Amino acid sequence: MTPAMPNSALPSRKLLTSALSLVATLALLLALCWYLDLTPSSFEMDGSFLFDLTQQFFPPRFSLYWNHSSLLWLSVLDTLSMAFLATVCGGAIAMALAFLAASNTTPHPVVRLAVRSLLVMQRSIPQLIVVLVLLLAVGIGPFAAVLTLLIGSVGMFGKFFADAIEQVDKGTSESVQSLGSTKLQTIRYAILPQVLPSFVANLFYAFDNNLRAAIPLGVFGGGGIGFQLAVAHDLLHYHDVMAYTLLIIVMIAVMERVSDWVRRGIITQPASSHA
Amino acid sequence: MATSLFPSATAAVEPPFLEWRTRLVRQRWRQVATGGTIALLVAITAWRCQVNLASFLLGIDKGVPIFGLFFPPDWASLPSMLKPMLVTLVLAMIATILGIVLSVPCALGASSNLAPTPIRLILRFFIALERGLPEVVQILILVAVFGLGVIPALIALSLSSIGMLAKLLADAIEEIDPNMLEAVAGTGATTIQVIRYAIIPHILPALLANGLFRFEFNVRAGVILGAIGGGGIGYIMRSDMLTLDYQAACMATLLTLSMVFATERLSDFLRARILDGGQMRRGRQRRSIAGAAAQ
Repeated sequence: MTPAMPNSALPSRKLLTSALSLVATLALLLALCWYLDLTPSSFEMDGSFLFDLTQQFFPPRFSLYWNHSSLLWLSVLDTLSMAFLATVCGGAIAMALAFLAASNTTPHPVVRLAVRSLLVMQRSIPQLIVVLVLLLAVGIGPFAAVLTLLIGSVGMFGKFFADAIEQVDKGTSESVQSLGSTKLQTIRYAILPQVLPSFVANLFYAFDNNLRAAIPLGVFGGGGIGFQLAVAHDLLHYHDVMAYTLLIIVMIAVMERVSDWVRRGIITQPASSHA
Repeated sequence: MATSLFPSATAAVEPPFLEWRTRLVRQRWRQVATGGTIALLVAITAWRCQVNLASFLLGIDKGVPIFGLFFPPDWASLPSMLKPMLVTLVLAMIATILGIVLSVPCALGASSNLAPTPIRLILRFFIALERGLPEVVQILILVAVFGLGVIPALIALSLSSIGMLAKLLADAIEEIDPNMLEAVAGTGATTIQVIRYAIIPHILPALLANGLFRFEFNVRAGVILGAIGGGGIGYIMRSDMLTLDYQAACMATLLTLSMVFATERLSDFLRARILDGGQMRRGRQRRSIAGAAAQ
């Protein structure tokens, strides 16, 4: 009366299967590495050269922070501005599109489909492509980087917001509708209050993300601290590179802390205001 | 006023209404203040970022003919681009595998319920540093050390994969129910055995799911790092752009898009399988219980 046990469910057989697939994956990977000339010898480097290079990198040129430092601090401000502007404008556009893309607020299913596919497209195009095209179109400078970040934010958060709207409690909108509210009034008084806190909290997350992404965009010509870093690197001013790097680490860490702190405040606020 | 619908509202002395009204007024003021601050910040940042609607419109005007230069894509360059694309893919794969494997010891050492404080603090500092350092900054330094090529990109991607996965994993380990660990330790298991039989099975599905997510990310980041000097399809794309070979750049773009899209689908599919593995079993169980109740 023992239940019939397929052979494939035996522990020994399972182990064998997983071991075999592991070996096969590793073999495939090694074969690919060999085909692409990725051998351990490419890690080789000259010891004396490395010592020399360490001396070129250290110590970082901290005097950059106070001597003729207006360019440096303005570039930090530029990077922060890029992230901020892209987050605010992107968030506003994403919110508007989200109401068109959510099944319970969309004016027509065709609109929903169109907006959803637009959002998918915006999400999946790599930023490198967007920024290279935009640098051609609007010229080198922070504006192209802002537009790139904005497109990415709209794609990512439009979908996220639309999903959040689709998950709101139906009862609230029905009760508001039963009072004779129009579609816009339902959105304003039943749906928006439910989703707004998570929207705003996510915007802070988006700001974090955009700040990180703003640095590579700067390297490609989008301005800000990333651009300064790339210039210092191209000029082989490695002491400056280290100084910029430390500044970037501190900037990202501080902004992450701040946005975490504010986000926690926003998420816990409704609970405390009821008390 | 005698016909007012809410007579008590006109008698402003009623305490509950007064309280509500002050609260409403305060709320309105807060809204105005928030809106004003945001508007001010937007104005300042827009000025710093040289936002210029005229140049935007001009950009659209200029952009349309430029966009025409990209088409038709240069299909003849397709065969020569397949190998760089493979380089980017393999790079992301190796970086992900290294990240998954090496993040486990890092996470074990960084979680407060397992590791002694000094080791934990050092590893947490290392993880925070890795997460705060964008890959692009890493690669600019690594290129100076190793020269142009895939090795700097590989190291940068692996390091940041370790940073992200170890952070998530360490947080997951710290949330493990201590009773479970005690139960295993109570049978006389050594620390290694506790890790092997209580912690690893618990975190493995999340680790693999996060690893797949990271793989997706590594493919995208690999394209960007490639453009800065790490080789691969990103390098081809940027050099084609810089040499004004827009049709070849369009081909590289199409390849990149399909690669990113395919990896996204693949990772979604695998992740759903990993995370559903547990749920499906539970679902079947529930169904069988329901069946028993019906009988």
